[in-house]
Amino acid sequence: MATVPSIEIAIPETLPRVRGRGPAFWRFVRKNPLGAAGGLLVVLLLGAALFADVLATHNPIRTSSRVLVAPGADFWLGTDNLGRDLWSRVVYGSRISLTVGLASTLLGALVGGLIGLVSGYVGGWTDLVAQRLMDIMQALPILVLALVLAAALGPSLTNTVIAISVVIAPRAARVVRASVLAIREFVYVESARALGVSHARVALRHILPNTFGPFIVLVTAQLGGAILAEAALSFLGLGVPEPYPSWGRMLSIAAAEYAQKAPWLVIYPGLAISLAVFGTNLLGDALRDTLDPRLRGS
Amino acid sequence: MRTYVVKRLLIAGVTLLGMSLLLFVLMRLAPGNITDIIFESAGYVDEADRLKLEVELGIDRGRWLGDFVRGELGKSYRYDLPAWEVIKPRLPVTLELAVLAMGFSVLLGVPFGVISAARRGGLIDYVLRVVSLAGLSMPSFWLAMIVILLLVRSMGWIPSMTYVSPFDDLRANLAQFLLPALAVGYRSSALIMRITRSTMLEVLREDYIRTAWAKGQRGRQVVWRHALKNASLPVVTLIGIEFAFLIGGLIVTETVFNLPGVARYLVDAIQFRDYPIVQNLAMLIAVVVVFANLTVDLLYTWLDPRIKYGA
Amino acid sequence: MTRPRPFLPLLPLTAVLVMLLAVAPATGQGPGTPKHGGVLTASPLSATPSLSPHEESTIATVQQASPCFNNLVYFDPTKRQESADTLIPELAEKWSWQDGNRTLVFQLRRDVKWHDGKPFTAQDVKYTFDVVRGAPDAKAKLKVNPRKLWYENVEAIEAPDAATVVFRLKHPQPSLLLMLASGYSPVYPAHVPLAEFKNRCVGTGPFKLKENKPGELVEYVRNPDYFVKGRPYLDGIKFVVIRDRSTQIAALQSGQLDAAGSGWNKTNAENAKGGAGKLVIVEADSNVNDNVLVNFKRAPFTDVRVRRAINLALDRKAYLVGPRQGAATFGGALLPKPAGVWGLPASEVATLPGMGDPAKQKAEARKLLAEAGFGPGKPLTITVSTRALAIYVDTASWMVDQLQQIGVEATLEQIETGVWHPKMTRLEYQVALNLTGTGIDDPDAQLFENYRCGSQRNFSGYCSETIDRLMVEQSQTLDPKKRLALVNEIDRRLQADGARPILGWAKQYYVHWPYVKGWAVHDNSIYNVSRRQDVWLDR
Repeated sequence: MATVPSIEIAIPETLPRVRGRGPAFWRFVRKNPLGAAGGLLVVLLLGAALFADVLATHNPIRTSSRVLVAPGADFWLGTDNLGRDLWSRVVYGSRISLTVGLASTLLGALVGGLIGLVSGYVGGWTDLVAQRLMDIMQALPILVLALVLAAALGPSLTNTVIAISVVIAPRAARVVRASVLAIREFVYVESARALGVSHARVALRHILPNTFGPFIVLVTAQLGGAILAEAALSFLGLGVPEPYPSWGRMLSIAAAEYAQKAPWLVIYPGLAISLAVFGTNLLGDALRDTLDPRLRGS
Repeated sequence: MRTYVVKRLLIAGVTLLGMSLLLFVLMRLAPGNITDIIFESAGYVDEADRLKLEVELGIDRGRWLGDFVRGELGKSYRYDLPAWEVIKPRLPVTLELAVLAMGFSVLLGVPFGVISAARRGGLIDYVLRVVSLAGLSMPSFWLAMIVILLLVRSMGWIPSMTYVSPFDDLRANLAQFLLPALAVGYRSSALIMRITRSTMLEVLREDYIRTAWAKGQRGRQVVWRHALKNASLPVVTLIGIEFAFLIGGLIVTETVFNLPGVARYLVDAIQFRDYPIVQNLAMLIAVVVVFANLTVDLLYTWLDPRIKYGA
Repeated sequence: MTRPRPFLPLLPLTAVLVMLLAVAPATGQGPGTPKHGGVLTASPLSATPSLSPHEESTIATVQQASPCFNNLVYFDPTKRQESADTLIPELAEKWSWQDGNRTLVFQLRRDVKWHDGKPFTAQDVKYTFDVVRGAPDAKAKLKVNPRKLWYENVEAIEAPDAATVVFRLKHPQPSLLLMLASGYSPVYPAHVPLAEFKNRCVGTGPFKLKENKPGELVEYVRNPDYFVKGRPYLDGIKFVVIRDRSTQIAALQSGQLDAAGSGWNKTNAENAKGGAGKLVIVEADSNVNDNVLVNFKRAPFTDVRVRRAINLALDRKAYLVGPRQGAATFGGALLPKPAGVWGLPASEVATLPGMGDPAKQKAEARKLLAEAGFGPGKPLTITVSTRALAIYVDTASWMVDQLQQIGVEATLEQIETGVWHPKMTRLEYQVALNLTGTGIDDPDAQLFENYRCGSQRNFSGYCSETIDRLMVEQSQTLDPKKRLALVNEIDRRLQADGARPILGWAKQYYVHWPYVKGWAVHDNSIYNVSRRQDVWLDR
């Protein structure tokens, strides 16, 4: 997965304020041309997912007698072995990848983040137990854990989301916990407590907002990985089932049967995955550069 | 230091135990067990016979906790052979692939990272960054498929589909492993490149480097001698963690290149509900990962006294 | 005076020779004297769970275990259509029906040894088939026994002497002989425990097991003491498991495989040849069909109109083009002629639901659904279940699309391998797409397994007493013409009832290098050609 390994993320002494639009946006683009390019790819991905109905030329699950047709005027990217239009399937596949990717990343990050917040703030035994739990889940490589989960739960859209989010949660927990630990020591938090503000309020109003930066970095960093994980699971047969057109599953069937006769079946879905992940990675890198001063200049 | 090591070992032990319990429960949550698989390939189901078989194999509901305690290093349900006997011949394959892939990733990643850092902001930097990020963005199985497609199209040749041991024929063996190792290594090299680059950049800003520069030593010597030495630390850390990343890539690569390794076998075992194999293999992987992490952490702590290890 | 024409008689001879030479490559058996030696490498359909044909139902096991065993009788590898007329002796030298066709007596060979050197006797035959039929006094018990019902008509088996074995039946059953000739009916040694057959093989066959790496490789070496002198030609056979189909193709093209050990679909075969022009493709029919399971016990499928609507909606010609890529034949419950022996005539097949004009049939389907109470306001929702394997999923996806075209809200459910048969057996589905292969092209096997009330593989829950009676009647009919008429009558009724709509019977494509000779292929079964004792390498 495309993730920065666990380097402690430092919280700056003064918290970065979100500037207004306009000039800052262009400054971002000029300073991070790669990030902007990544952003563009992400926008394209979103666009494809949102406007799939308009962009697609055919019904993605409608079979026809025009099987294994090479890319041309009728079928922009050719057809597969059931005569389904590949372009339409790739376009609709963006919905699956984006849905699963975002849902699992957000779910994992939120659940993990919550665990990290509580664990970091409360400390003590809770922290110890939570940490060991996270360690256990991270002891297994991503794909292995996701595989076992997918096998246990069965191949479906929801279960794929759950399986991948379980894998992401520990990473989110670790990041949030680290920033919570750092912020906890700030003077103003101590003074708030001294003033009698409840723990929950302190956690929610003071600490949580300051974890946003690293959180966003984490989400964008993990999104690419989530998309790849879904592709790998579907490739191995345990991901999103038919009739949803999943890019990963398109590759598994194509690879098994028709790679040589119809290489477009292998090239385009894989290209789609790569571009989507590439875009999110580039954007994630740029965001990290902007929001995390310690790694600025990389 | 000693208490730290002991403490980490204890934690590692607890982690492994917890993980095996988690796996144990998860596998049994999955619908169907080996008796279903056995009847499956027979093409019919006789519930009475199947229940008898369950009891015979010892996987009926009541006894699973006992199995867990006993560690179930027993027999593969699917092949009716001792689990270790089935896993053993597959280990060297995955090991060789992993080592070669790691080798490629370091061979490609470190120099590229250094060059990229040294030429920061320049064209080379951008190109290398894009290329390495592309490697991280591609699904490893897709890369493998494209490679085979190109090979067959252009040269009509693919690496041997029957495993050749390096002791039997080293050349054939290397020919067989070269491409899969590259496919897996390319992705890992991207990660190493990025870390090498960012660490190098940080080190390059360090005061003593600036001092050395001001003292007039040649730019390149500065970079190579001081920076590399100090940047090696995080890279070593990463190499240790790499194993965990690698395994995902190994699973799909072994499938596409038809290598009879443990990674691919794990997928099969899950599909066939061969609990003992899944448990054993997952434990094996976890042990490797946990102890790699532990070793790296200790190495890290030992090499850099600035980092405290009280966490 | 007309000159004598000495060459005239040679003309028909030449014509015949030319025809033979033209036909020969298609059957993969070229002229020339067989050469001894060489090891053949092939990739089977998949890894086999065990080397015990009596305990499995997958072609993968038959492919990889048949070289090790022999049957009492076998189907002649060189005759493409299997039937009672193509039986050849293997372990039995002679056989005869006696006692009003209720007793089958075999005279066995006396010169056969098991691979471990012990002599083969009638006791081994009695042992094997007592075990398989689940006789109360059988010396062992199979953990799983998929073909027990093949032998339910056997009352007793006797071995009066070392070279004679007698099967006593309750009723006459001509099909029993064919069942004994199937790749699923080898003879096991009585002196080897059943558990051994999971990973080892002790047989009488042309090849001895050299190495077995479960899940990866099964390797055989020539049996020098084989009772057929001069066979096998090969020094050995190697089955290498390659999971990925495109990798299999690449391996064949690059010469790492001598033959694809299993039948491929048309696209893959053409693919392979496209990259290596010298490869030989042999087209064959098979008795594997795609069929639709409709749950007879669940509403609204209890309504015959709903069942018929579903059947009508599935346009068979589109099925041929799409999921099958032009490689299938249409028929009823038995494999159609000319490949099969018992199929309905083509004129009748053409009138079955789904065979007619698609627009008209879909309109008729909509009407039926409306009559049954479904329509645009109240659409019928169906979950189509299928196994999570590429060949199933493709056809099922096509099915979903066809059903949607008659206004049904259809979705696909993929069921993982381990739970497929249990779910089907327990009728936990609405409509399912299924693939069925039967060991032999025979009404007893086909009908009893799939259509009899309460049969374990009667996954649709179909039950008709009339059909059951007719089934028993045809099983005991000795006159082939009368029997065919009865079988066709049963088939007709099954199709009218929509017991298990057949989408089509698959064609298989066998690909190998031209130097591989004697690679037998049959048209009405894929299970009974894997002995491979006549295969030789011309190089």
